[in-house]
Amino acid sequence: MVTNFVAIVVNTIILGSIYGLVAIGMTLIYGTLRILDMSQGSMVMVGSFIGWGVLVVAGWSPVLAILAAFAATFMLGVLTQLVSVQPLMKRRNAIDFEMVTFITTFAVAMVLTNVALEVLGPFQRNVTPVISGGVTIHTVNLPYQSLAMAIVSIALMAGLGLFLSRTRWGMAIRAVAQNLDAARLMGVPVGKLYPLTMGLASALAGVAGVFLGGLYFAYPGAGDLPLLEALIVVIFGGLGSLPGTIYAAYAIGLIQATAEQIVGETWSLPILYGVILIVLIVRPYGLLGKPSEARL
Amino acid sequence: MTDHAPVTGRQALARSAFPSMTSGRWGLTAFAVAIAAAIPLVMTNQYYLSVMVTTLILLVLNISWNFVLGVAGVWNFGQLAIYAMGGYGAGIMMLRTSLSPWLALLAGGVVAAIAAMLLAFPTLRLYGIYTSLLTFAFAEVIQYMILNDGSGITGGSFGLPSVPGLFDTLSIDDQNRAYYWTILAIVVTVTLVLAAVKQSELGIALRSIRDAPAYAAARGVNPLRLRVIAFAISGFIAGVAGALYVCAEGSISPSVMGLTPMSVYVTMLVIGGLGTSTGPIIGTILVQIVATVLVTRPGAEFTILGLFLLVVVIFVPDGLAGVVGRYWRRIGVWAAEGENPAADEPPDTGEAVPDGTAAASQAEGSPDPHVA
Repeated sequence: MVTNFVAIVVNTIILGSIYGLVAIGMTLIYGTLRILDMSQGSMVMVGSFIGWGVLVVAGWSPVLAILAAFAATFMLGVLTQLVSVQPLMKRRNAIDFEMVTFITTFAVAMVLTNVALEVLGPFQRNVTPVISGGVTIHTVNLPYQSLAMAIVSIALMAGLGLFLSRTRWGMAIRAVAQNLDAARLMGVPVGKLYPLTMGLASALAGVAGVFLGGLYFAYPGAGDLPLLEALIVVIFGGLGSLPGTIYAAYAIGLIQATAEQIVGETWSLPILYGVILIVLIVRPYGLLGKPSEARL
Repeated sequence: MTDHAPVTGRQALARSAFPSMTSGRWGLTAFAVAIAAAIPLVMTNQYYLSVMVTTLILLVLNISWNFVLGVAGVWNFGQLAIYAMGGYGAGIMMLRTSLSPWLALLAGGVVAAIAAMLLAFPTLRLYGIYTSLLTFAFAEVIQYMILNDGSGITGGSFGLPSVPGLFDTLSIDDQNRAYYWTILAIVVTVTLVLAAVKQSELGIALRSIRDAPAYAAARGVNPLRLRVIAFAISGFIAGVAGALYVCAEGSISPSVMGLTPMSVYVTMLVIGGLGTSTGPIIGTILVQIVATVLVTRPGAEFTILGLFLLVVVIFVPDGLAGVVGRYWRRIGVWAAEGENPAADEPPDTGEAVPDGTAAASQAEGSPDPHVA
């Protein structure tokens, strides 16, 4: 009983932190650009391959792996925005803008995943854990890798919060999320802000990828499950709401950890979907989502 | 939208089910169908013929999906679960009872239509992306339930084996041809029926909800009732497609659902042109050709499809059907000039386009109509 409880708490924190890291990027993008970025999953995949390249192939330090993943996925995110979203920004007010950008970012995800498949092959590659070893609490094994992942995730989320509330660029992103026209009139360089936002969000997903690669494997499909889970989190929390996303990440982590303890891992995802079905029926806008405008 | 302009009375709507089809266009359509019907007579390669049968089944599915996604504008990503339920429903009924396969096609459609209506109810309070997640979650739950089904009804991850087909008495070669012609006839029927529905009062109401929900509701269109009807129509056709699949393949497994097949089918619809009548046909055939050529290299296949999808959405928002439609319209104008110049409606109204491409192009986001 105690063991179960400890396992649930530990797994909630780990799963919640990692979901939060991927989902918060999607929330940031939705709040600012009003698009659901389906390429975030492949950023996780790219991050895990960069982790594999730096840690296993080159044998360099974990810090370098994280920095390299951050930089590479940042640039990839900027590029994705310029290729798949920027040409559509003039249709921003069309009724199907969400769907069109959903499809183009999905196309980017398809291309990234399958280029990885062509170039690197379908093999699952072991990524060295960033930190090896672990600690045992009440017979529950807690690898330091997972702990480090949770700490880095929380630090990055806190850093993002500070960036958004304290810095000039962060405030500009929030201004755009709240009122595009007013932000423009105040002289916010909206054109530069969009790629920056998507780069930043992608970089968070890339860092998550380095850690997830260490937990599981690096392979072309590594981003699919994180993407689905992040989608559930952002919708559960209410699209565009940052606090909602963080609460939802831990709530989803808790549901999944509990389900894994009680009915086993196979059923945890369908149970999650079942919960989402009910949440959406009861609260169509998610936990903290607002029906229309007020975001972030 | 210009759709509301001619809606002054029921007579205005009742003039024709296909207002844009001139006799020349009917002739071209009949010619295309005749060529498609002649293919099995010339084509002797059974592998390619079976690929074409699969393509036709996918066409039925995609046409049904296009109706709910493109015409009604509801982001239903649970269509593959509806399709699978039609297939499983028909298959289980054929295995458990001595139901004739032809009746099983209908039964599969009815099962799927009921499932689709049940799925429609929880989505009534949702819009856009939330609808897509709810319906996708529904599909995932269905897939998991089938995968982990230990009762033996669905056969779990192995699927339903040895389901009777429609033409079990014929030789293999003849079976392929018989399926080809049967499903081609179904595709033609479904396309014509849905094109007529699209121009009917129901179809106009559905498109008005898609393009201007608040305005449509203010004009007395009931979005809730119509969404359930749209789901039922589309679900029935998807269920028939599933039943055709189970008959033609002789089996069905949970792998017909999931993210990978779904991404291929969405690509087909979007490349072809969402919400148009010819779009699903063009998109499905094109993507199937790419898939068949690159069958041994899935990585290359999906990279090409992804790039293609990106280019089409950005540069040709109304899909390839829009491009074809523009030429089609020119041919129509040219053909009509000989008969009766006045019969041709001005090309800039939504009604004048053979398959609603103008309506689609506006909805797909040419900058003018909805800009606040």
